[in-house]
Amino acid sequence: MLKKWISLQLLFLGMFIGSVTGQNAPEPVYVGAKACAECHSGKKFGYQHSKWLLSRHASSYAVLAKPGSKTILELSGITQEPQKAAMCLGCHATGAEAEDWELDPDFRIEDGVQCEKCHGPGSEYMPMEVMTDPEAAMKAGLKMPEISECMVCHVEKGSHVAVHNLPALDLSEAWVRIAHPTPDPDKVESSPSAPQPVSAHQDLDTVKIPEESSNKYIGSQACGECHSGPDMSYQHSIWRMSKHALAYANLSTTAAYETATKKGITVSPQDSPECLKCHATGFGAHEGRTIDSFSIDEGVGCESCHGPGSEYAYEAIMTDATASKAAGLVKGGPELCMNCHTDTETKKFEFAEAWDMIKHPTNPPKRLQSEVIRYKTPLNLAVTPDGSEVWVACESSDSVIVIDALKKKKISEISVKGQPHDVAFSPDAELVYVTNRLDDSVSVIDRQSRKLLKTVPVGDEPHALMTDPSGENLFVLNTSGDSISILDTKTLEEVRRLQASRSPWSVSLSPDGSTMLVTNTYSRFIEYRTPSMSEITVIDVERKVVTNRIVVPATNLLQGIDWHPSGEFAFITLLRTKNLVPMTRLMQGWTITNGLGIIWKNGDVDQVLLDEPDKAFPDPADVEFAADGKYAMVTSSTSSRVAVIDVEKLLDIVKSSPERKRKHVLPNHMGLPTEFIVAHIETGDSPRGLVASPDGKTVYTADALDDTVTVIDVDTLKPVSTIDLGGPKEITQIRYGEKLFHNSDITFHRQFSCHSCHPDGHVDGLTYDIEPDGVGVSPVDNRTLRGILDTAPFKWEGTNPSLQRQCGPRLSVFFTRIQPFTPEQLTALDRYIASIPRPPNRYRPLGAELTEAQRNGKKVFERTMSNDGKVIPKNGRCITCHPGPLFTSRDVHDVGTKMIYDREGEFDVPHLNNIYDSAPYLHNGIAPTLEEIWTTYNPNDEHGVTNDMTKDQLNDLIEYLKTL
Amino acid sequence: MKKILLILVMFSLLAVSALPGQTPEQKTDESGMPYVYTKWEHFSKKDGLPNEHIFALEADGPYLWIGTENGLARLDKRTREIESWNEEDGLPWRVVSALDLDPETGELWVGMFGGGLARFSGGRFDHFHQLNSGLVNDVVYGVAMEGRDVWIATTAGASRYNTVSGEWAIYTEKNAPMEEIWNYGVSTGDGKVFLGIWGSGVLEYDVATDRWKDYIDPDGEMEIDLYRDDGVVHVITTGTSYVEGILWVSSYFGGCRYDGRHWRGFFEHDSGLASDFINAVKGRSSDEAWYCTDQGVGVITDFATNTWVKYTRNGDSPTGTALIMRDDKILKTIDLEQSLPHNYALWAEIDGDDVWVGTSKGLARAVGEGYYKGLKISDSGK
Repeated sequence: MLKKWISLQLLFLGMFIGSVTGQNAPEPVYVGAKACAECHSGKKFGYQHSKWLLSRHASSYAVLAKPGSKTILELSGITQEPQKAAMCLGCHATGAEAEDWELDPDFRIEDGVQCEKCHGPGSEYMPMEVMTDPEAAMKAGLKMPEISECMVCHVEKGSHVAVHNLPALDLSEAWVRIAHPTPDPDKVESSPSAPQPVSAHQDLDTVKIPEESSNKYIGSQACGECHSGPDMSYQHSIWRMSKHALAYANLSTTAAYETATKKGITVSPQDSPECLKCHATGFGAHEGRTIDSFSIDEGVGCESCHGPGSEYAYEAIMTDATASKAAGLVKGGPELCMNCHTDTETKKFEFAEAWDMIKHPTNPPKRLQSEVIRYKTPLNLAVTPDGSEVWVACESSDSVIVIDALKKKKISEISVKGQPHDVAFSPDAELVYVTNRLDDSVSVIDRQSRKLLKTVPVGDEPHALMTDPSGENLFVLNTSGDSISILDTKTLEEVRRLQASRSPWSVSLSPDGSTMLVTNTYSRFIEYRTPSMSEITVIDVERKVVTNRIVVPATNLLQGIDWHPSGEFAFITLLRTKNLVPMTRLMQGWTITNGLGIIWKNGDVDQVLLDEPDKAFPDPADVEFAADGKYAMVTSSTSSRVAVIDVEKLLDIVKSSPERKRKHVLPNHMGLPTEFIVAHIETGDSPRGLVASPDGKTVYTADALDDTVTVIDVDTLKPVSTIDLGGPKEITQIRYGEKLFHNSDITFHRQFSCHSCHPDGHVDGLTYDIEPDGVGVSPVDNRTLRGILDTAPFKWEGTNPSLQRQCGPRLSVFFTRIQPFTPEQLTALDRYIASIPRPPNRYRPLGAELTEAQRNGKKVFERTMSNDGKVIPKNGRCITCHPGPLFTSRDVHDVGTKMIYDREGEFDVPHLNNIYDSAPYLHNGIAPTLEEIWTTYNPNDEHGVTNDMTKDQLNDLIEYLKTL
Repeated sequence: MKKILLILVMFSLLAVSALPGQTPEQKTDESGMPYVYTKWEHFSKKDGLPNEHIFALEADGPYLWIGTENGLARLDKRTREIESWNEEDGLPWRVVSALDLDPETGELWVGMFGGGLARFSGGRFDHFHQLNSGLVNDVVYGVAMEGRDVWIATTAGASRYNTVSGEWAIYTEKNAPMEEIWNYGVSTGDGKVFLGIWGSGVLEYDVATDRWKDYIDPDGEMEIDLYRDDGVVHVITTGTSYVEGILWVSSYFGGCRYDGRHWRGFFEHDSGLASDFINAVKGRSSDEAWYCTDQGVGVITDFATNTWVKYTRNGDSPTGTALIMRDDKILKTIDLEQSLPHNYALWAEIDGDDVWVGTSKGLARAVGEGYYKGLKISDSGK
């Protein structure tokens, strides 16, 4: 104990000489349960360590190896390995959010939920003199949790209920079960320290160690350093979940005492050689035959069967059967088991059954069936300049598919990176560029050889891309980064980054090659409760600068864009969302109308609708001119149609209208589309991008949810072919839900879909007045659907306990105004929503250390004292209501943000994961930035005690919040 | 006693050797004469300026951006037309105190006195202030781009904003050798950031190493330069300008120049400085810098010979004077038909051969027809 304490102090001394904080106070680090056990073991301490070992907490990391854990992650849209996923480790391990320096070298995450999960990192309070002084221990960071704090992890989670279907936790009963009081020392006989393998030879038939062997026991944890994870079939976790791992701890139980008594053993079973010979590894070995990593607490570990591992536990030896055998590796087998597992009076030892329970072969991981089903989900496409090939970016299969345009057949598929979104060619069509939305990268493919040449990083969630006419520069829209990267195509390095508006989506080059226009999906931040103001960003291609930002008023979700061949104007797709009035108003097309914008060369803007009174045109996604500009083709991604616009007719209508009519009437006129839409063409399910052949006679649509491409003949305005991209034909429940999500059949007049407000499962950046309780009453910010499965309750007022409730009849009453989903549909929809993944955090890549600012911010987030030294009440601390891993306490609180038109003052505590990506903030979206939550909307410290903070502390806090 | 005497002698020698005019490299009047701006154009409210208190200028190709006490303006040099923006046009705050262009994106960063920071791009103002962003304070004195970072000098420390990641950092007495936090000016170059701080001299920040160097007046806060060229002339620094590896510094008690090893101080009594009360400095090269003072503009045109041209306006008359000076001697006096609009000069901006000067009563353009660097011996040999 003393030795360890000294080594820790030396460690800290070194650490704090170069302390990043510049403060003198030592930083607590996690020391691990094994260190706690140095004192908290044995009879004197009520066998506290053994009690923990016998609890589910101790195997909580190991259980993540079970197939059910993988299923839970699939349900939740998390693609990582459970034992690597922060979302799992947040509750299944201790110190999961800690940086490396916060973990003692002996700390083992494999020990699951350990002492320090509840009592706080222990380095500062573990010395005897501190620990025995309660006040000093508390000052040094010892926490004595309240029962309610268990609910941070033990609150019911939909994902876990769906898989395990366990009854809700009886917290009081559980509290009793894990209770581990320290006995009154006066009533406990002194207990010797934890036994170690004894020096005297015991006449035992355990593993026979040759007298001349120098092999030493290294402990199962050392074995686990390699024998863990899916590639090793989770062998260490399998052991950890077995009774073998509990064999020593079990000796602390009443039952063990009773058995020992029957055998005439009068000492504690954990001190009895008779018991230990079968309940601990290496018992009976020579003195000094263990190294520091060994612990008798591990019970019957790997080396009980395989022999002491010090000589064979090297990868080079282990992977060589002859060498490992020579180095002492024992294969194990029935004869070894029988040394301890004999029949009892009441039970016969069934070897086969027992063997089945502990078998741990090294097999490649089995793939779950659901992993095998990977759809294509084509999103956008491009045609080679000669018209011979169509390249399709397929989001779900992480690939691009090549279609032979003449044969109308898939001829190749090339793997790229995560969630490819768009595809573009170099001017000579020798190179193909593909954006990978999930990986924040662009892949470069040699078109002729179909070889992936390189993948280079760009900004956050890249969508559209295109080269300039010379091919020297590649423009990439970083949708989540609100920026445009310009890459030098020779070096593939970013040479410039331009500021877009919010969520740049698509780009189009003027026919003369001088100007690019970029659509932005979200409105700019606007004054609270004023109409949206979306932007077309204008780029001077040669100078590579933004020269203009054209405002398209009262619109959002500007997505598709194409320049007319004349160069006089471009068309864009848009939504006109009436989010400021209750969703019951039907005037001028109800809540969301769908339209088209005309962006004139001089920056002027006109708008028209594509909706007709009885036939809406929901979610227009892309637009493309065909037949030399005679027609404009627009996809409706949630009604699976293409509208064909007679361009000349439309322009006549617009140009012949007086200014006032153009500004105020045409944008809302549902009677006009019949005059300029000459056809609606059926496509496959959910057409997103579309592209015309160079001769303008053929148009291709990417049918996202059918894994097809529809080929439209422009002369006849008829679909002439459907090209199968080779996706699975089976429709899984999640895929069915995805189809429902992207289908306007669920709303009155087929006017919008779930996707309209939650494009790609995210947000549209708007604040809505949903209920018919008066204009402007209880407006609520739209919230993301990414990674929300276990964040119930839903709705800002927290009144919906489940997704089923959120999307059930209530949705029909307030949103869709049509028959509610059937139970089958509802289940599928909820499954899909729950599976929408949250992108990797932009500010803290997996495994990355925190920056200095982030680290300082973490301290602010977790602080218990204000700057003036006063204790911050628990309900005034960030971490109380926002505990990891979801960073929500999943209840409602009044944080002083109730405004005059709000019905309630208590609001759901939002989860904070990727919080940087879902502005605006607070229940009514009144705060465009995180800073304003505290600088403006927390005057009375009701949303945490924050008004004492300095500006740099607030900056640091925000930098940390962005990493969650 | 002997020891004390020895030290005094050493100091005396050091002081004498540091006096101007006695350095070995000093040149004679025959070394030539500097270029003198004799043609000046004025711009006032009549020409379209929103206000005649000019706080900041930034050349941008055919345009000149102008920060005034009541709005942002842009002069088209080709047409002399001035377009302006005030709060009704989206400018977040009327007092524009600092300007800098992002050379990569062409975006204009606008520092506002009491209004924080704005990015002007494609006609759109993005507003960053102390309540909605990590900006340390809204009273902004200086703005400068360094790579993809914007550095902002404010009355409560310096801020740094990464235009790509959106991260803010604050530099104050907590994490920088900033005895005072009143940052008056900022300039950048060669991967370094130079902060001119009221009461804390000059701070140099090396971006690559994340290290600070501080330059404090070795004479303390005395309003005299006790030991010549021993460091920055005074801790009450008003501005910095870094060009060609040379740091030019202005203070309310004189100006100075630092080449990375040696400091050189300039004062009204021994140079062409119009006054020791200097509002700003703009370096043109390692040899030339424009000092904007409360009494006119002093331009050191050739550092090696300490040759200056002092531009002043003659009272209320539009005429002015250009004095060519070397050390404290007047080499030549040139009468100007038109000079500065006002002697209270606040900012200078080098624009090719031309130089723009912002004053408390309008904008001036010093037209650099035939401009030449350094000194030139005229045909007559004078």
